[in-house]
Amino acid sequence: MINLSEKIKQRPWLGWGLFGATMLVVFLLGLLASSVVERRAEATVFKVAKGAIAKHESRNPLWGEVYPLEYQTWEKTANMDFESEFNGNKPHDVLESRPKMVVLWAGYAFSKDYAAPRGHMHAIEDVVGTLRTGSPKTPEDGPQPGTCWTCKSPDVPRLMDSVGIEKFYKTKWGAWGSEVVNPIGCADCHDPNTMNLTITRPALVEAFQRAGKDITKATHSEMRSLVCAQCHVEYYFKGDGKYLTFPWDKGTSVEAIETYYDSVKFTDWTHSLSKAPMLKAQHPDFEIFQMGIHAQRGVSCADCHMPYKSEGGVKFTDHHVMSPLAKINSTCQNCHRETEETLRNNVYERQRKANEIRNRLEDELAKVHVEAKFAWDKGATEAQMEPVLKLLRQAQWRWDFAVASHGASFHAPVEIQRILSHGIDKALQARLAVTKVLAKNGFTGDVPMPDLSNKAKAQSYIGLDMAKERAAKKVFMEQTVPQWLKQAREKNRLVSTN
Amino acid sequence: MKLLKKILPPPQWRVAVIVALGVFSGLGCYTFYVSKAYSYLSDKPEVCVNCHIMGTQYATWFHSSHRERATCNDCHVPHSSALMKYAFKAKDGMRHAALFTLRLEHQSITIGDAGASVVQQNCIRCHTVLNQDVGLAKVTFEMAKKNEGKVCWECHREVPHGRMRSLSSTPNAIVPLPESPVPDWLNELMASKKK
Repeated sequence: MINLSEKIKQRPWLGWGLFGATMLVVFLLGLLASSVVERRAEATVFKVAKGAIAKHESRNPLWGEVYPLEYQTWEKTANMDFESEFNGNKPHDVLESRPKMVVLWAGYAFSKDYAAPRGHMHAIEDVVGTLRTGSPKTPEDGPQPGTCWTCKSPDVPRLMDSVGIEKFYKTKWGAWGSEVVNPIGCADCHDPNTMNLTITRPALVEAFQRAGKDITKATHSEMRSLVCAQCHVEYYFKGDGKYLTFPWDKGTSVEAIETYYDSVKFTDWTHSLSKAPMLKAQHPDFEIFQMGIHAQRGVSCADCHMPYKSEGGVKFTDHHVMSPLAKINSTCQNCHRETEETLRNNVYERQRKANEIRNRLEDELAKVHVEAKFAWDKGATEAQMEPVLKLLRQAQWRWDFAVASHGASFHAPVEIQRILSHGIDKALQARLAVTKVLAKNGFTGDVPMPDLSNKAKAQSYIGLDMAKERAAKKVFMEQTVPQWLKQAREKNRLVSTN
Repeated sequence: MKLLKKILPPPQWRVAVIVALGVFSGLGCYTFYVSKAYSYLSDKPEVCVNCHIMGTQYATWFHSSHRERATCNDCHVPHSSALMKYAFKAKDGMRHAALFTLRLEHQSITIGDAGASVVQQNCIRCHTVLNQDVGLAKVTFEMAKKNEGKVCWECHREVPHGRMRSLSSTPNAIVPLPESPVPDWLNELMASKKK
């Protein structure tokens, strides 16, 4: 020890070192002690609302001040850090990886731009940025109606309340640019006074009414899916008023909805190659989920996409809505005892098998459209083409219904594989039918196929001028959108975050 | 004596060393007291909710038939010898304490292999007579992992903690969480001072 004293005398840094080390140990011990105390205390903390929220408050950050835990998790829907085998929350150009989809949607805005979905917080940004909504310069410009905003923002119920539902839908999309500015958030699903789950979109209520059901009688557990069903469903824009309508009057299966569309003679668009009267499926997540085992056992959307979470003594709902595969521990493993790896592979297995059939069907559909166009060019008559076009409409409707809802292959694997196999059947029947038409018009060889190896080639094949589309969008993003935001700020529709 | 001499500080350091050691041991005692480390020697189920995250497990056990016969330690630590019991407790306890302090606990707590092996042994230990007839009394967790039989809870899925494992699955259950670490006399003293 005397040695040590002397050593320190010789080398003073040793003394400082000893001092530092002691300080560090005591400091860490103190941290440990305070952490233990904190964790003891958190068990007794209760959640208390820290203020009140006004009716139709669409500015999410203001709800966040009152319900910080829920808000902070909701903010994470902006994250782009998760990728599973088939989807995630990163931006991904689907047309680039599946150029045949361009041909499937020829003549429809989806052939211009179709990206994988991102989190709720990107809703406004994505609907404004996509080429599908075009580049309106004035509030009267097209191409889309106000209906396209319906699912994007809590500003929508506020606006519907002030201008009326019909007017909201009918007015052009560009007219509401400075009104609809906050992404999908609190007021879309919650009552501002009671925080109870509530339905804020008329289409779901109307669909329930037509079916003779009262949505206000839904249980809390049902509401944990129904709030999602306001948007994550199949829908269409009815008539000239573009009135948002759910096609559920004859049922919610792929066939029942098709029968409904046929009965009201609805067509989303006429295919620009085959001239088929097409249907576009939106995202029938809710309808398909009802046909899967989880829904049949009473599991709700929120149980897996917004699992309950405990931090200390506080239980709350994780509002970071996303793939349950990112949080297997708090989703699947709440009920299933298997390891994370096993559970993930169980999901992948179902997805891979559905994807196998989907890829086959997509190939066949692209071929029929090209063959149908060839038949028209060879002089086929409308009467000759009618059976081909009907089968095409049916085949692609089945493909779209199974594919457009991203989680379908897991939500209801058996149903999706059934739908996709009927899709293949219809597509091959259509190819048989078109062969007959070609033969009648004196052609028996193989129809030449265009080069569809990438998105650009496919888009130029269907006759899109993408350079023009992109240039117009650029001007729109640089001139119109900043104007919208400026006006929104003047109207106090936004809470400034930076 | 020589060793002691080596350890003992030189006279001129004594005060500083005494104070430093005092700081260490004081903090140590405080941590020991506030984390109720002493209670871990007992077999009381209340001990296991010292960390409140075990509240779900406590509540589900409390409403199960096992409550009448078996407490946490009857199933979750080995009973082959006292040494094994405390060694396992220490090992598991240190792991739990570390995870809990660092906030690394999972939302759905699942049992690890070592724990599962012990639980299976204990199922057999208590239910030997019952199992003689069905011939399952020899299946260990290790055998079950190799698919040479099934562990008991593969079929008795709700024994004894039910099917939901999320920390949030029993939000309002009444659980004997540890009381405030501030002693009554101190509280009274503070209260009287305020007056």
